[in-house]
Amino acid sequence: MITNKKYLVGVFNDEHTLIDAFEKALQKGVVIEEVYTPYPIHEILHGMKNKTNITTAAFFYGLFAVVMLIGGMYYAAVIDWPLLFGGKPFNTFPSFIVVTIVATILTITILTLFTFSARAKIFPGKNAVIIDVRATDDKFIILLDQEKMGVGKPEITRLFEANGASEIYEK
Amino acid sequence: MYKTDVRGKLIDGEKSLSQISQEILAPIDAQTPKWWYIAMGVSLVMFAWGAHSIYITLTQGVGSWGVNNTVGWGWAIINFVWWIGIGHAGTAFSIFLLILRQKWRTAINRAAEAMTVVAVFCAALFPLMHMGRPWLFFFVFPYPNTRGPLWVNFNSPLFWDFVAISAYLLISASFWYFGMVPDFATIRDTTKSKIKKAVYGFFAFGWTGSSKEWLRYEGLAFVLGGIAAVLVVSVHSIVSTDFAVSVEPGWHTTLFPPYFVVGAIFSGFAMVLTLVTLMKKLYNMGDFITENHVDAVCRVLVFISLIMGTAYITEIFIAWYSGSEYEMFTFFKNRITGEYAIQFWGMFIFNAILPQLFWSRKIRRNLWVVFIISLLINLGMWFERFNIVVTSLSKNYLPANWADYSPTLVEIGFFVGTIGMFSAGVLLFFRYIPQIAISEVKMISKYNTQQTDHLKPGHHHDYE
Repeated sequence: MITNKKYLVGVFNDEHTLIDAFEKALQKGVVIEEVYTPYPIHEILHGMKNKTNITTAAFFYGLFAVVMLIGGMYYAAVIDWPLLFGGKPFNTFPSFIVVTIVATILTITILTLFTFSARAKIFPGKNAVIIDVRATDDKFIILLDQEKMGVGKPEITRLFEANGASEIYEK
Repeated sequence: MYKTDVRGKLIDGEKSLSQISQEILAPIDAQTPKWWYIAMGVSLVMFAWGAHSIYITLTQGVGSWGVNNTVGWGWAIINFVWWIGIGHAGTAFSIFLLILRQKWRTAINRAAEAMTVVAVFCAALFPLMHMGRPWLFFFVFPYPNTRGPLWVNFNSPLFWDFVAISAYLLISASFWYFGMVPDFATIRDTTKSKIKKAVYGFFAFGWTGSSKEWLRYEGLAFVLGGIAAVLVVSVHSIVSTDFAVSVEPGWHTTLFPPYFVVGAIFSGFAMVLTLVTLMKKLYNMGDFITENHVDAVCRVLVFISLIMGTAYITEIFIAWYSGSEYEMFTFFKNRITGEYAIQFWGMFIFNAILPQLFWSRKIRRNLWVVFIISLLINLGMWFERFNIVVTSLSKNYLPANWADYSPTLVEIGFFVGTIGMFSAGVLLFFRYIPQIAISEVKMISKYNTQQTDHLKPGHHHDYE
């Protein structure tokens, strides 16, 4: 059948049928474009083989923050304008730790949020590209690109239906 | 794995996923109830009084308050510490219970986080106004300035406090907001109103629920949760150093950081209990915030209350054991007895004794009693801060310096104003924001039906 619609959409009613269909489709070599769910499902996140390095990024932001903060406080308190507080040393390192911890956490939070926003493309004013509006409510959606889904459409339709898809349509 | 047969159901009634969205979003779609306008009106009147008090403080200075040379910290600092304490519930709920894998948190964490943001905002006003010239507050920032450059004192707990509070406010606000993004998308996709679609659509940041988004979202939650857990402990520890590094009798003690942190979580949980009782009664959220949820919070409160009692008794014991007559005087002549005895015993009874009633299952399941006790705990926590701030300062080492303290109307108005601001904030939250994290509740909804069928062999997973 010739069609000019780009996507094939499989709609599922619950998590378990979705995971079943998803895993069987992967076994058959179906290339899945994207999966939309109302909440995160670890089998799907794992099966989609996307990776995120956001935790590694956060670690380096933290490292950067610690160096900058301790360095900054040392510069201010020892090099730039040393002040005598009752004969205490200029470099009062252990008491720098308090500010370092809290401000590091703040830096990590802000930079990680921006990283998340940039990488997941979630930012104010973005127009959502919605495949099926029910995906944020109660449906679980598997999206396939008709041109590169790896396996023929009839076979995929059969597989989805056998595994409890409530609806299959083209879009 | 959550054991439904032991801990009770997480959601009452067999609800489909779309029912969960509908019922949680009902208050946003429904018409604003009459009581809401009345409550909002009262809050705004209180807030107006607070604004007027701030105006007087700004134009006439801190001299319009009852503080004097001896008792330099009055209601302002009491209220600051009190609000910050209440503001600890958000992180405690979201992060500690997340780390401890407590699934019942999902029904409550949104409200706790919302409350945190408003409470910390209320708290921040007090030190700001206490500065006397708040328009120069930016002097607190360590920036290269034209005054030398004269840097701030990095050894000062007041500076630590400034960093801690501003970090806490920013972090809890962003944690709260990003938790709401998927729920805003749900509103955008389910509402029929065009205005709501546009407004919530804007705040949903283009969220669609794709696996790429969820993956990074989980990564973000992991990072923020992990590092913010430190904040639960550090913020109030730092607040306690405002007192503990001084040489005032009754303040100069190593007990303070844990004592403050536990106290903060105590008052935060009590305020959360107040709020969820209201959500249950006013918004019919009883199916999501079940008796078991209230029960769980009450159990936590019993435990924390015991720690509070231990801390109070430890303080008194150490005052005697240290052999310091100043400590002895502060605790035995100026707290347990003396003119501030009412505040001391108010604190002791409301925080250490009254919550022991929660040992009884009957009381934990009686919403009215729970509501009243939760309010009394916060009153007790206020007394605690009064007790710490005023009794130590009013009679210190030099009897010639002794002075009494009582607040002026301006200070009272300022405090009432923040209560008005808090309740107005909470009312706005009730009205315009999903009170319960929809996507998280959907995620745990499967634990309800687990015993019956759904999970097939081979798909027995514990999602975290």
